[in-house]
Amino acid sequence: MPNVTEARPAPLHRAGAGRFTRQERLAYTMLVPILGSIFLIVTYPFVLAVIQSLQATNGGAFVGLQNYVTGLENPLLYEALAATAVYAALVLPTEILLGLGLALAVHRGIKSTALRALFFGMAIVPLVIPPIAVGVIARLMYAPSYGAINHILMLTGITHDEINWLGQPITAMPAVASVDVWQWTPFVYLVLFSGFLTVPRDEIEAAQVDGASGWSQFWRIELYYLRPLLILIVFFRLADVLRVFDHVFILTGGGPGNTTQLLSLYLYRVEFKFSDYGQAAALAVVVLIAISVVYSLVTRVLPLERR
Amino acid sequence: MRRIKWAALVIAALLIGACQQAPGSGQKPAKLTIAAVQGNEDAALKAVAPLYEQKTGIKIEIVEFPYDQLYEKLVTTFKANSATYDLVMMDDPWMPKFGTDESLQPLDSSYGFKRDSDIPDVVYDVGTWPPPRGAVPPAAKGKAAHLIGITIVGNVEMFMYRSDKGAAPKTWDEVKANADKNKAANFYGYLVRGKATNPVVADFLPILWSFGGDVFDQNWNVTIDNAASLKAVKFLVQDLKAAAQPGPESTDAADRDRLMAIGQGYQSTVWPGEITSVIQNASVSQVVGKVAYIPMPAGPSGKGVGMMGNWLLGVPKASPNGQAAADFITWLTSTETQKTYVDNGGIPARKSLLNDSALNQKNPYFSALAKSLDAVPNWRPRTDQWNAVETILGTNLNAALAGTATPEAAVQKAADAIRTLMKGAGY
Repeated sequence: MPNVTEARPAPLHRAGAGRFTRQERLAYTMLVPILGSIFLIVTYPFVLAVIQSLQATNGGAFVGLQNYVTGLENPLLYEALAATAVYAALVLPTEILLGLGLALAVHRGIKSTALRALFFGMAIVPLVIPPIAVGVIARLMYAPSYGAINHILMLTGITHDEINWLGQPITAMPAVASVDVWQWTPFVYLVLFSGFLTVPRDEIEAAQVDGASGWSQFWRIELYYLRPLLILIVFFRLADVLRVFDHVFILTGGGPGNTTQLLSLYLYRVEFKFSDYGQAAALAVVVLIAISVVYSLVTRVLPLERR
Repeated sequence: MRRIKWAALVIAALLIGACQQAPGSGQKPAKLTIAAVQGNEDAALKAVAPLYEQKTGIKIEIVEFPYDQLYEKLVTTFKANSATYDLVMMDDPWMPKFGTDESLQPLDSSYGFKRDSDIPDVVYDVGTWPPPRGAVPPAAKGKAAHLIGITIVGNVEMFMYRSDKGAAPKTWDEVKANADKNKAANFYGYLVRGKATNPVVADFLPILWSFGGDVFDQNWNVTIDNAASLKAVKFLVQDLKAAAQPGPESTDAADRDRLMAIGQGYQSTVWPGEITSVIQNASVSQVVGKVAYIPMPAGPSGKGVGMMGNWLLGVPKASPNGQAAADFITWLTSTETQKTYVDNGGIPARKSLLNDSALNQKNPYFSALAKSLDAVPNWRPRTDQWNAVETILGTNLNAALAGTATPEAAVQKAADAIRTLMKGAGY
């Protein structure tokens, strides 16, 4: 039996102990632009925010954690967090269920490539419309007196009186959330539809041979393969929910009262309306740390890898 | 050798950079960059700017931003002391912030600007910091007053009503009576602009002042919770709301204009920009010729008080082209240029143009605007904290309008928050 040895790459030239090889130098050189960009775009602003959070707004004197204390003591912060939680609770499950249902329906029910392409194209449209334009359109639709939604509801006899969608606390948040659902459900659909296409055909066929129902196939096989994508969607959408600004600003401006003043709108007001740059930076740092903790917990609890 | 060449190149580049114009130098630049608000307010500016290039060879580049983004852009640009813009358009409530931060070059002492008798004093006053009358912020007390902005949009908040259906109201009581009398199905007696924060405050302040109330007294004591102010709040959120359109708490200016233009509103407050872009625009309005414009009706205080909403041009401290920028302002606000400016939909502040009978035919609000300026409208309190005050007041007024808080509770909550804010800011 011949002596089999592992093939090893030819040793690279080292000019001396502790120095990089030419290949290593090339690799690091090629990494410099991207690492530099990341540093400029992510690390540098974050460091600046941390520094600003420790300084007085007027004069820039070092104030320790005072901005953090002031920010966390303000009850409006907790109202904004509660509003954001309600918003997330409305949009995330709705978008995931609708997107999943739509993806499943198209995957199972439509075999024509042309029709699938049409659905793909239609799903792209809401994603490329600027959120501010979506807000303006939604504002026209929800407007009392001339808004299309009230008009349709009254025309079909569903309601007899106009609903003041954006002016009542009970309806303002669902109205604002509905815009998000309209714009981002297609994203969920697109991601999950592509996920359905990656499910191994042989496993489905084996299940069918064994007499598994459509529901069983979905629940026991397809959903298993979709799980990493669902977590990815939750990640992306949660991050987006924390950034939501434009359409809320256009639709209600945070009203009635503070009902729809989400976290991003609150931070914007602390920075640009109250000109409290120190407190705004402190809150941004707190939010960033909180999100990082939540994300790391989510990744630990919900495994991303298929096992 | 190669290193020496590179070093020589770097030194040469640095020397060339150092020889560039210093801030405020008098050299003629190739172009001036203006940060402007996108919309009706800068339309006439865009229309006349090419004439300046023809006259002087200096290109005028106008960079537009929506209202809120412009403020953010200016705050961050001034904070960074960046020379991105040679001229900036500013809403007059922003002046205290930029004045306090010393973000702008003084136009009087640096470039010799003087008051023109054809332009009302109040127009110059609103661009002067510290303010020449009224309450002065503690940090600005004792400082020399300088002109730091020149009005290019002579906005004053006025009043509009359907003149084909009734007579001009002289008082807010008559406004209420007319609203009740004219209210019908799909026709609203008064259009309340009540969206949270800035919109509702803009609609409310003229009523507040006409009722003898105010946000602060002359010593920055909060007075929004006194009897006169509370009466004004109740008038808005109870009396006027009773005759108003559905959903006043989510109504902004665009919604009000639309309702008025499609013939569903009887009366409301109005800014000149809304008149030119919608109400008097025959391509979108069904009520051209049916709406009249008047100064603010009088309240229990015996006087009607309009509100300044001028847009001004100023020169940032960091601009290297201060003299050229000042020359542009002089050209733009001259009588000759203002005639072309008005022909392109501009809103002037010159009395000679506002009272011109031919121009009044084309712009039926000019006369009311002239009278409003003569009556000396109020400006929003001249404090660098105004944006915060407006946010607090506007949020609570909106809650009262939506019925989620009583007028008393809303006013008290706003007053408490404003007192805390002002105390923290050293007032």
